[in-house]
Amino acid sequence: MKLRFQRKELCIPYFVFLILFVIIPIFLIIYYAFTDTNGNFTFDALVNFFSSTNKLNVLLVSLLFGLVNTILCLVIGYPIAYLLSNKKYNSNYIIVMLFVMPMWINFVLRTGATRDVLSWIGISGGEHPYITTMIGMVYNYLPFVILPLYSTMLKLDKSQIEAAIDLGCNRVQVFTKSIFPQSIPGVISAAMMVFMPTMSSYVIPDVLAEGKIVLFGNSIYLSYSNYQWGDGSFMALIMLFIVVICMLATRNFGDKDEGKASTW
Amino acid sequence: MEDKNYIIDLKNVSKIFDGVTVVDNFNLYVKKGEFITFLGPSGCGKSTTLRMIAGFEFPSKGEILLKGKDITNAPPNKRPINMVFQRYALFPHLDVYDNIAFGLRLKKIPIELLDEEGKPVLKVNKEKVKQLKADIRHTKWNKALTQEEKETKINELNSKLEEVLANPEPAYKYRKLSNQEIDKKVARALKIVDLEALEDRDISTLSGGQQQRVAIARAIVNEPEILLLDEPLGALDLKMRKDMQLELKEMHEKLGITFIYVTHDQEEALTMSDTIVVMKDGVIQQIGTPKSIYDEPKNAFVADFIGESNIFNATMIDKLKVRFLNTNFDCLDDYPINEKVDVVVRPEDVIITEPNKGQLNGIIQNRIFKGVNYEYTIIINKNELMIKDTHEYALNKEVGLIIDKDAIHIMKKDFVTNIYTDAYISKNNKVMIDESPFECDLTQLLAGSSIDEDGYLVSKDKKKKYDLADADVVAEIDINDVEIVDDINADEVEAVGEIVDLVYKGDHYQLIVRTDSEEDFVCVTPYTYNLNDKVGIKVNKDKIRLRLKKDINEYEA
Repeated sequence: MKLRFQRKELCIPYFVFLILFVIIPIFLIIYYAFTDTNGNFTFDALVNFFSSTNKLNVLLVSLLFGLVNTILCLVIGYPIAYLLSNKKYNSNYIIVMLFVMPMWINFVLRTGATRDVLSWIGISGGEHPYITTMIGMVYNYLPFVILPLYSTMLKLDKSQIEAAIDLGCNRVQVFTKSIFPQSIPGVISAAMMVFMPTMSSYVIPDVLAEGKIVLFGNSIYLSYSNYQWGDGSFMALIMLFIVVICMLATRNFGDKDEGKASTW
Repeated sequence: MEDKNYIIDLKNVSKIFDGVTVVDNFNLYVKKGEFITFLGPSGCGKSTTLRMIAGFEFPSKGEILLKGKDITNAPPNKRPINMVFQRYALFPHLDVYDNIAFGLRLKKIPIELLDEEGKPVLKVNKEKVKQLKADIRHTKWNKALTQEEKETKINELNSKLEEVLANPEPAYKYRKLSNQEIDKKVARALKIVDLEALEDRDISTLSGGQQQRVAIARAIVNEPEILLLDEPLGALDLKMRKDMQLELKEMHEKLGITFIYVTHDQEEALTMSDTIVVMKDGVIQQIGTPKSIYDEPKNAFVADFIGESNIFNATMIDKLKVRFLNTNFDCLDDYPINEKVDVVVRPEDVIITEPNKGQLNGIIQNRIFKGVNYEYTIIINKNELMIKDTHEYALNKEVGLIIDKDAIHIMKKDFVTNIYTDAYISKNNKVMIDESPFECDLTQLLAGSSIDEDGYLVSKDKKKKYDLADADVVAEIDINDVEIVDDINADEVEAVGEIVDLVYKGDHYQLIVRTDSEEDFVCVTPYTYNLNDKVGIKVNKDKIRLRLKKDINEYEA
């Protein structure tokens, strides 16, 4: 007898994957966040978190780091993506590849190398923890900004720029009224790809700031490694909550046109 | 200043890209309210000319005057000219209303500045200063001018600049249009293009025709002096295109502004224009009304490009008598006796009668029913003649033909190029000019293409193959590139003919070699030949320029 699949049966493996690696872990986090070591229901973790200025501080610093890193990456990546989308500068995609290539090397290795290079030129993590961490963050997340922006800008029609000039725009207005509004879907997806991972990253501050900066990711990691399952899980829940808020906030932009295609 | 009736005046305008002259010494003036069309095959420089009027390109040489004012180097946003783009270039992030209002929101209305006593305040005109400085900068960097030309031009501009600096003018302050004003103007534009109900729609939800209308509305709402249209109907289907042609014409009458239209579609040009400018290789071939261009084409290119036509090489044999198709005809155009000329006969101007009752006889080889009439191909001693006639005649029948003297349009032959309008590509990729095969380079028909081992033309990205066997082409050979071979039996000889005409031009002869089937090759040679000598002809394969009569995509294999 021949094995025959219906189309919907083909999605079973993915469904199993989702349940095993996404749904069940979420429930596990929720479970740990609201139970104590004996498995009894408790709000201890919640109270712990909101009563600890230390932890709230970490959340605030992480949000700031995420925000600043997102802005820096966008400010640096946007012009690069714009130039690369012009065939004149990027005739065979080699330069795009050059910008994206660091992504192919494990980021722990890269971060170690970044630390060595920085201390060699005199910016050591011990003395300037904020600067080194920021440099490492931007270096790591820049490709994540360039790629979505690049693919959005490839779709920009050059004649639209001419049309804007024809209708009375000067050079600045061409950018503010035509190019930038059209690249917003790319900006949103780029920001999403930088903001959340920055907040929860712990290797980069760990390696580059020599332990002087604790971000939310470090904080979660520390809790787990000290067997504080409840506190760690509750902070993970907070992360999840911020992810959901971000997604809800940006959904409207993605839906408007086929800008979703740029969320690669 | 110049005649104010001319809204725009192009004086000796040339555009050179990387050493290639794209537009060559273009001279044209356009009257206010005219509908003018630039017509020509792709790459003839028509779009570049339009873009220079719009301000997207700046001329390498020459001047563009708008109502007598020099705007040669003014940027597009400083010109009262708007453009409808080929693929509309609408803003996808804005809806219909915002697209149309885009230009209005940027517009600034000047209000005269008055002092307390109500007198105009005088200030140096900063705009003019800026423009003149930009002009000077452009001139300095212009590679097409010689050092001397640059200096005189810069001196001229500098003195103008001093004049402007020394003479303060009434100053203005600027205000933006109010929302109500914008509303009113957008509503009017929407009404003109017939889209009143769609102002809140997203651009991506509109059909091609509707997008087209939005693009037109977006341009005309700014009340430009001139509306430029760059092949705006190219992306529409045939029926839609015909409707839009009439609507554009109506809009033009309603708005009363000047339209400059670019197209490669001769029918479109004939339907809509007041004046047509036919271009080829960056040079104006003819300027005239649609009727004058159709009836009195100035050269073989125009005749071939505008409408269907039979073009023959002919000789003036007597006063007001011309010989072609082995027959003598009366004609109306006076040319010197023995002058070689081109004769154009429109297919609908030939009358079919019974055999031997006309001036010449031919055999009907082909018949196609075209709805209104039949299109016949008649063979007369190996020459083909296309005729359109409403009556039905049997195939392979011998008929008599009458070509009235009104129907014979004689054009001075330009002795620069041999043009063969009924050439075709043979099975082994040679070009057949009057049944003689010539080696040629087919890859010129498609940029970057190559020929594969099976003889197909392969596009640059190797994705498309074209089978060009039997494709109709127009072949052109410069007279300097036709070589004469004395030994007519030599292997290299590609065609054989008899010298029928020979003119001594100071240091060389210009000869006409006529083959057995009456095709003429005009060539130059420093050597002496005699009339009626039999000679062979060969042409270097790179020197034959080919142009497909149909679009290359029709030959896709």
